[in-house]
Amino acid sequence: MGALIDAWRRLRALVRRQELEDRLDDEIRFHVEQQVEKNRRGGMAPDEARRQALIRFGGVEQVREGTRDEFRAARLEHFARDVRYGLRSFCHHPAFSAMAVLSLAIGIGANAAIFGVVQTMLFRASPLTQPETLVNIYETEGGRGFNPMSHPNIEDLRKGTTQVFSGIAASTFFPAPIDSSGTATIVMGEVVTGGAFALLGVEPLFGRAILPEDDVARGGHPVVMLSYGYWQRAFGADPQVVGRTLRLGGRAYTIIGVAPAHYRGAFPLLTPAFYVPMAMANELMGVEMLSQRNSHSFFVKARLAPGVTREQAEHSASLVAESLTRARPEGWVPGERFSLVSTSDVQIYPGVDPLLRAAALLLGGVVGLVLLLACTNLASVLLARTLDRGREVAVRRALGATRGTLVRQLLVESALLGFGGAAAGLVLALALLHVLVSIDLPLPYGLKLDLNFGINSTLLFNWRVLAFTAGAGVLTGIVLGLVPALQGTRADLNSALKSGSRGSDAPGPLRWRNALVVAQVAMSLVLLVGAGLFLRSWQQMLSVDPGFGRAPTSVLSLMMPVARLTPDQTVQRTRRVLERFRALPGVEAAGLVWPLPLEFAASFTDFTIDGRVLPSDREAFRADRATVDGAFFDAAGMAIVAGRTFGEGDRRDTQPVAVISQAMARRYWPNGDALGRILRRPDPAEPDLVVVGVASDINVRSLGEAPRDVVYENYAQGHGSPMFNFVVRASTDPARITPALVAATREIDPDLQVVQSTTMAQHLAMSRLPSQIGAFMLSVFAATAMALAAIGVYGLVRYTVAMRTREVGIRMALGADAADVSRLLATNGLRLVLIGGAIGIAGSLLVARFISTLLFGVGRFDPIALIGAPFVLGVVAWLAAYLPARRASRADPLAALRTE
Amino acid sequence: MTKDRSDVLQGTLDMLVLRALQLEPMHGWGITERIEQWSEHVLQLGQGTLYPALYRLERQDFIRSEWRVTDNNRRARYYSLTARGRRHLNESLAQWKRMSRAINLVLDAVN
Repeated sequence: MGALIDAWRRLRALVRRQELEDRLDDEIRFHVEQQVEKNRRGGMAPDEARRQALIRFGGVEQVREGTRDEFRAARLEHFARDVRYGLRSFCHHPAFSAMAVLSLAIGIGANAAIFGVVQTMLFRASPLTQPETLVNIYETEGGRGFNPMSHPNIEDLRKGTTQVFSGIAASTFFPAPIDSSGTATIVMGEVVTGGAFALLGVEPLFGRAILPEDDVARGGHPVVMLSYGYWQRAFGADPQVVGRTLRLGGRAYTIIGVAPAHYRGAFPLLTPAFYVPMAMANELMGVEMLSQRNSHSFFVKARLAPGVTREQAEHSASLVAESLTRARPEGWVPGERFSLVSTSDVQIYPGVDPLLRAAALLLGGVVGLVLLLACTNLASVLLARTLDRGREVAVRRALGATRGTLVRQLLVESALLGFGGAAAGLVLALALLHVLVSIDLPLPYGLKLDLNFGINSTLLFNWRVLAFTAGAGVLTGIVLGLVPALQGTRADLNSALKSGSRGSDAPGPLRWRNALVVAQVAMSLVLLVGAGLFLRSWQQMLSVDPGFGRAPTSVLSLMMPVARLTPDQTVQRTRRVLERFRALPGVEAAGLVWPLPLEFAASFTDFTIDGRVLPSDREAFRADRATVDGAFFDAAGMAIVAGRTFGEGDRRDTQPVAVISQAMARRYWPNGDALGRILRRPDPAEPDLVVVGVASDINVRSLGEAPRDVVYENYAQGHGSPMFNFVVRASTDPARITPALVAATREIDPDLQVVQSTTMAQHLAMSRLPSQIGAFMLSVFAATAMALAAIGVYGLVRYTVAMRTREVGIRMALGADAADVSRLLATNGLRLVLIGGAIGIAGSLLVARFISTLLFGVGRFDPIALIGAPFVLGVVAWLAAYLPARRASRADPLAALRTE
Repeated sequence: MTKDRSDVLQGTLDMLVLRALQLEPMHGWGITERIEQWSEHVLQLGQGTLYPALYRLERQDFIRSEWRVTDNNRRARYYSLTARGRRHLNESLAQWKRMSRAINLVLDAVN
């Protein structure tokens, strides 16, 4: 209250300034005249009396100025002066200022970016109406796991829970090729049940949503609702889009509406381009999705009927599961249950949410630690600097500055640093967020990870983030400045002036700071070693030969219109495609394969071998499987090391045959007599195979893996597959023949969907992506930690230097040379670096043991990482310790003695 | 600064000014005269400090001021204590007495 009144007075004083000036003039005039009169009464001549009175009064102008200070808004002006002074002093110490600001910017920037992400995730308003009455339903086996549901199960659940649910909505995703002239664009599509939008309470932006009437007859409702983002991207936000068509799977779909911007689909992170009715699922995906009970593909949300609790609904659902277990329909796993999770409790997916939360916590902890380290650095640098200025402080106090004035001055300076750090941190955070949301992982099949949880640059200028950043900066500055400011100004005036005593060298805080420097060094070393191991692993991976695709090769993934074609027709269609491809100029070989090696889709087959005993706990041997044509091995650059590949004579009506991998041949027939052997398969749907050839080994699941057992089946003798990868070896740049391949496909059958067109080089790069990301992330963290540790060491040595200037002066006066002195000053810092380094190496050996499974081709005692990382850190730390020490040692000994 | 005059420290200046105003409202000149008189001409206020002090004390709400006419019909700015100022003076005086007694005790201590 007093402060408010004071502020009001000052404000009024500003307005009434002229009035006050006049009043002061009147008062001074009166004062002088009184003195003149007194002098005259004392017997002076009039002139002399006036002269003496003015002398006695002193400088009129000084009095005016001194008094003005009182009625001006003095504190404001002092503040401005402090700010100016502070800025000037930063300019005199650019290195110090830059370091402090940078250190804080790293800490604050990382925190603001993470805070930005977290706050968008936490404060994101649900786009659904009454989300508290919605539940996600999953299938669990024995109470474990959260599996998507199968369509028949959803239908049974729907019938059995009409009392507790007012509605159930299901949806799933599929990669959808969009027909556009010449190039294949793949986007994510979402199929939804007819009532989904109404149930969730999502109103279309315009047009209409998908209604129950749109989801009645299988294949009978070619309508599509666009997502907001896709409408923006592909249709330029055309308001007349309703009524136009979108070609999907060779059929024209009528656009009926556009979803609102805030609705991003049923599954977080994967925002679809459009929504189509569930009735179209089979046709669009080319496989039977709806009638198979063991096809778990659907994400389900249900709304609780009014007054029904989740527990009651859970009970009803368990009754349905029990009756299914009793009835045992085909595909139902006895003991399977339905699991209900409140929709608002689900961040991404119940199976990964705990992991996600742990990761968020860990990340938050790491960036919090980074800020802590940054603050420690700033604190020790500030303290060193305040002590450096001990003499300045003493002189200013002697000249009459109060301790309060000095503390205020120092606090303004550290708050300015904090503010600078916050501003720089904000820029950094903006850049970080930008990188984060623009991450475009080269995922196959048009999969796009939607990391943009509504984050955009405007988010950063959201008041929460701004307030957080600015507050963190200024508060950090003030809190960190307070201790040095109080300590630095506490020194007894006399002794400070005389001896340059720099206040107490409190051993407690110093020891604490030493410990922090040790921790910083140790931590950054662990991260550096980790980064080194991952970089080495990535480097090793680059030189791995996967056994296929070394030549320039193009890969085209085609989806067959299987709903329309018989298996034989599919074979004919693919054969025609292959023949056309082979006829194209620049093509050397063309074959097909499913799945593509080193792709996340893995397929395997069970078999037994006559005369070979199975292990007691197994019912069959198991090998990876790929369906190929005879030319695949040549096109992929593999060799047939024994026997033959598939030929024209291997047809649906002849003996099914197989080519096996060399590793498999060696394992089961070490004598080299694999050819002609029979693989007996227990699954009645799969015929027994006769081995006719052995192919060279390739990496199937991961780069550089030990050679696996692989059974190659002949596509011409199989069931036909909805999708094939056409592998085309070219004599030129494979990217250049891709358009010709796409055009050729279109000519043969416009309904052949190009799901993906890529090159083998890109495909192989993708399989190296995880280790690349790991190496990149760890390198960034390691570099940050190292920078902070270096700043920490620098600050500490700088502090030591500030404390021991006098000692240095004496030593140099007694004949020590610069090298001796800098060694002396840097010793403490380097000792801490050595301790930290030792702890760090021990820590890295421990950590390396845990990450060794993630490493490839690199032992956990990799000498390059284990020697290189400490070396890099050592050089950086040595520089950080040596530079300030050397500067101190360069000082003139006389000047050093005198400053004290 | 001459030898026979003692400078007045800032903290004590405020106290002296308030003390001078304790009995009756006065103008700036009067305060100078009163303090000089009371101190038997040892303390002479520099005007360079008096007027800033007056304006400061007024801002702190320890004194207030108004124009009045003097005995010989001159217009002058008269300062008077506020209740807050009176309280502040009493506190300062009490503290000063404690302080000076302590200092005297030290100075008069027999070795």
